[in-house]
Amino acid sequence: MARERWGSRLGVILAVAGSAIGLGNFLRFPGQAMRNGGGAFMIPYFVSLVLLGLPLMWIEWTVGRLGGGFGHSTAPGMFHTLWNKNRFIKYFGVIGIFGPVAIFIYYTYIESWLLGYSYFAITGKYAACTTEASVKAFLNGYRGLAQNEYFSSLLTAYVFFLITFAANVAVVCAGIQKGIERVCKYGLAMLFLFGAVLVVRVFLLGTPDPALPDRSVEQGLGSLWNPRWSELGSARVWLAAAGQIFFTLSVGIGVILTYASYLTPKDDVALSGLTAASANEVAEVILGGSIVIPAAVAFFGVAATKEIATRGTFDLGAVAMPLLLNKIPLGGVFGFMWFALLFLAGVTSSISLAQPAVAFLEDEFNFSRRKSAAVFAVVTFVLCQPVIFFLGHGVLDELDFWAGNFFLVVFATIETILFGWVFGIDKAWTELHVGSDITIPRVYRFIIKYVTPLFLLIILGAWVTQEALPVLLMRKMAGTENEPVPATDIWYVRGTRAVLVLLFAVLAFAVWRVWRRRRLRGGTP
Amino acid sequence: MTTSGWVFMIASWLVILALFGYCFVRSLREKD
Repeated sequence: MARERWGSRLGVILAVAGSAIGLGNFLRFPGQAMRNGGGAFMIPYFVSLVLLGLPLMWIEWTVGRLGGGFGHSTAPGMFHTLWNKNRFIKYFGVIGIFGPVAIFIYYTYIESWLLGYSYFAITGKYAACTTEASVKAFLNGYRGLAQNEYFSSLLTAYVFFLITFAANVAVVCAGIQKGIERVCKYGLAMLFLFGAVLVVRVFLLGTPDPALPDRSVEQGLGSLWNPRWSELGSARVWLAAAGQIFFTLSVGIGVILTYASYLTPKDDVALSGLTAASANEVAEVILGGSIVIPAAVAFFGVAATKEIATRGTFDLGAVAMPLLLNKIPLGGVFGFMWFALLFLAGVTSSISLAQPAVAFLEDEFNFSRRKSAAVFAVVTFVLCQPVIFFLGHGVLDELDFWAGNFFLVVFATIETILFGWVFGIDKAWTELHVGSDITIPRVYRFIIKYVTPLFLLIILGAWVTQEALPVLLMRKMAGTENEPVPATDIWYVRGTRAVLVLLFAVLAFAVWRVWRRRRLRGGTP
Repeated sequence: MTTSGWVFMIASWLVILALFGYCFVRSLREKD
């Protein structure tokens, strides 16, 4: 069976950019910048982009294309290609399938909320919510956390989940060119259009209430961009910036490896990787930094916006935005654009999360694309149910903590060391420049070999001591500042961990079986 | 917003737009 390929160079760039541009660009980034030094945050942010983000981008594009040349679309086969003398390294590669599947389980559900809210915006369903308490009640009712005058059951949320889930599976089932590439091309075009319109509208808000001159768009931009130099000396700010760069570029998940595996061996990766990364930065810094915080400050003031942001960045998008959009003319239309923008950002990311598992079944088990997508759909649909029905009990936060944060850093550290040290920087550098349209400055040989792994080890060390151990030992709840796990939620958290361990074990067993079968047949694994 | 805030914002925007513009145009020009 001939290997699938991208239809065009622009197609793969937009697909990787679509994977990178997610909810975090519009909700997480502005919250992080506001809390960590304002404009001064951009110094560690750009330093992290240069020393961490771009090297990881190039590593994943290069390893992906190399692995694709050997018929592998996922990390187990790719890691084995890089270090074929080591029989265990392929099991570390399992993280590159496990992580995307685990993230897909909760990300699709969050994405479906945004589809629901797009519909509510255009139909005016939340127009009657004019106070923060009523918008929160609307959100909690929708998610099944409360029964109120807005929603009496989870039925509406479940219907939007089914639509979102089916759409994701359908896109993946349609294939690389006809599915993912096409959706990302049109989806990103619409996303940038909606984003540009919203930025202009937000900037035109000015000072909505002249009696409150400290509540203006300019004050909002100031809270985001005025540099607070004293905070630059804090390790917390540098870690926050490094973390933001890491999570925004979709590196360390395994999806770029899979996308790059559909390149031909002579396709450029250096310029394409840089283009995808810079497209993500446009969406994050220019669009993401100019919508939610300036708008929220213009209506609620700096202190109230900070308070909303500290409760969780999702609240900025789903509570503050509906509330303020209700106060402007054509608020329903702009509300639709806002939630559709977030939905598009979500769907171009979630299809990339589905692809590694589907590609693994295709490559290593010789399943057809349709059969692979069907197996993926059945397994993830079942795993989505606890996230939906046990929301508010720590299931979603636990999945996000381990799959969406911790394992990303672990995976990126492994692949960087493999690339620069085991595969060898000389071979790696040559491979990176095969078919390249640009020459990467030679200083990146040093950065990829020494600086990026060191940077990742520091982040990993900080994570393990500050976050992972307290969460693992249940001294604090995942996704909170320092709240303990409520006694009623302990078994939900344990159950989620058991499912994650089982999922990893099943994938590791599948890898073991594939390699064993090949060895028995006398083929090269 | 303070003057240094404006400087940070405009400088960041310009750097990112210049990088994206260069990469995007160059990617379109090069053959597939």
